[in-house]
Amino acid sequence: MQFLRRFSVVSLTLLLLMLVLTACGSAATSGTQAEGSSTQNGHTVKLTLAAYSTPAEAYAKIIPLFKDYWMKEKGVQVEIEESYGGSGSQSKAVEGGLEADVVALSLENDVTRLVNANLITHDWKANDYGGMVTTSYAVIVVRSGNPKDIQDWADLAKDGVEVLTPDPATSGGAQWNVMAAYGAADRGHVEGFSSGEDFLRALYTNVSIMDKDARTSITNYETGIGDAAITYENEYFAGKASGADYEAIYPSSTILIENPVAVVDVYSDKHGTTEVAQAFVDFLYRPEAQAAFTEIGYRPPVNVTTGEQAAVDESKFPAVKDVFTIADYGGWAEVGPKFFGDDGIFTKLIAEIKG
Amino acid sequence: MAELAFNDSVRPVARPQVPFGAWGLRVAALTYLVALVAVPIIVIVIAGFREGLGVFWASVTRPAALSALWLTIWTAGLMTLFNIVMGTMTAYVLVSYKFPGKRILDAMIDLPFAIPTLVTGVMLVLLYGPQTAIGELFESRFGSRLLFAPPGIILALLLICYPFVIRAVQPVLAQLDVSQQEAASTIGASQWTIFRRVILPAIRPAILTGGLLSFARALGEFGSIVIVSGNIPMQTQTAAVYIYGQVEAGNPAAASGVSVVLLAIALLVTLMVDLIQQRRRQHA
Repeated sequence: MQFLRRFSVVSLTLLLLMLVLTACGSAATSGTQAEGSSTQNGHTVKLTLAAYSTPAEAYAKIIPLFKDYWMKEKGVQVEIEESYGGSGSQSKAVEGGLEADVVALSLENDVTRLVNANLITHDWKANDYGGMVTTSYAVIVVRSGNPKDIQDWADLAKDGVEVLTPDPATSGGAQWNVMAAYGAADRGHVEGFSSGEDFLRALYTNVSIMDKDARTSITNYETGIGDAAITYENEYFAGKASGADYEAIYPSSTILIENPVAVVDVYSDKHGTTEVAQAFVDFLYRPEAQAAFTEIGYRPPVNVTTGEQAAVDESKFPAVKDVFTIADYGGWAEVGPKFFGDDGIFTKLIAEIKG
Repeated sequence: MAELAFNDSVRPVARPQVPFGAWGLRVAALTYLVALVAVPIIVIVIAGFREGLGVFWASVTRPAALSALWLTIWTAGLMTLFNIVMGTMTAYVLVSYKFPGKRILDAMIDLPFAIPTLVTGVMLVLLYGPQTAIGELFESRFGSRLLFAPPGIILALLLICYPFVIRAVQPVLAQLDVSQQEAASTIGASQWTIFRRVILPAIRPAILTGGLLSFARALGEFGSIVIVSGNIPMQTQTAAVYIYGQVEAGNPAAASGVSVVLLAIALLVTLMVDLIQQRRRQHA
């Protein structure tokens, strides 16, 4: 009996403690958020950057440069808290309450989610580059020496070639891949296929593994699975830098992948950091910041009015004959539902091939 | 709950005269259960039906959803059969025989519970992937891949659910009255007959419990499956991975619809486990 009583006292106390802790926890977090990033006491201001993981290395170089710059300009010390993860999950985290002042994501859709959630209320695409800070191409990677002799898109549809590309339902990167292949054929650059759909059908017949994200897909390719993988040029450079043994094949036609960056103004207004957040975003377009991006394999953004892109070293970044953009197909707002919705072209096509 | 157990015990104890203790326990246990299990489940069920029965039905009868559910059920079922046979055998060996390294083996059995399932998936790819000798051999022998195909799903589930049957059967076997086996042996029963007629009836409820629990656990497995399955809709996409895809694609109705079906199956299975255990208690 003694035991029973004691036991119940202990468990009740634990339960109470749990409740108190949860209450405290939420109070504490909201407290620090309100305080930590809003006040400029002692001339320190805190910014939170939520980004997708691939450019982390570039941000590691850019952030100290920006700190010096802001110190000189305003005499204010900036502290930047960095959070990295998959583009989609970062976007969802911000939507769910990760109070980032700036987001740098891989897909426009992930920013659109924050616009729809009323967290970004200004026209984030208003700058010269339409809100895009880096670009890349969808390319094909093959095994060292190219044993399957893959030269262009059409070769990926040959018998006996296994292609890795992630699942477009879960991976934004995979959606770029689908649109790259579709567009190349649609624009008449894939020999033997007259329409985008025909080529997608043949290509996806050769796809037997669709990993959940671009990283897992390329990691699987690195372990030796599959003959070719579709990926971003910058992912290829990242893999190369970490010692992976494969070659990039530049198709004769490919899509320009554009990565957006935006100030989450609802949060930055709340923190009182909108000015410095916007300055950080603008800073990313300066030559020294762009150099950090090109170093890890990104191409510069395209000026939306002139259509021009800063010159790049062609020995590192080969030119591609035909480059198109998602805007040629109506932008992601239109492409999303049209290709990947419940009745989308791709959704139906994959059910038809695999069913 | 606790009181029930006390009443069941052999000692004819009077009701504990500690009202605070008894009520405190009940409130604590119930609050804990409701907060951690009941409320989240109810939330999912509500989400599944929020847009009406029609939408729910449409979302679970979509070909990709149906095929994902079916793949999940049959791979989990097949795994459970394997697990029942091999798990019972392992438990028998652990209880009946002495051999060097037995204690280490016994300790290692629970390891699959502790390994992050994502790690399990990665281990399997490194060991059995199509690029490895084992993967290649399997593919050339059976004309199908080991990983990125249903056999890989079953393999991953077997690893994850490995401890269930063993840990359910082992204690029952250990407590078994040996005099019955000796009696059977003196009247000339073979080892196999003794196992079939004396041991098996006694451990059958434990086997079933372990099997059903592993089945229920397998239904929701995600971490390892998302790595080893290949994730091709209609072919190698399981329900849990399908749900993940729907969540990511911003289609929560479809995700919660399929979740409700998985929950219903799991609930049915756990009710069966409960029934088996109640019966066993009555027999005892």
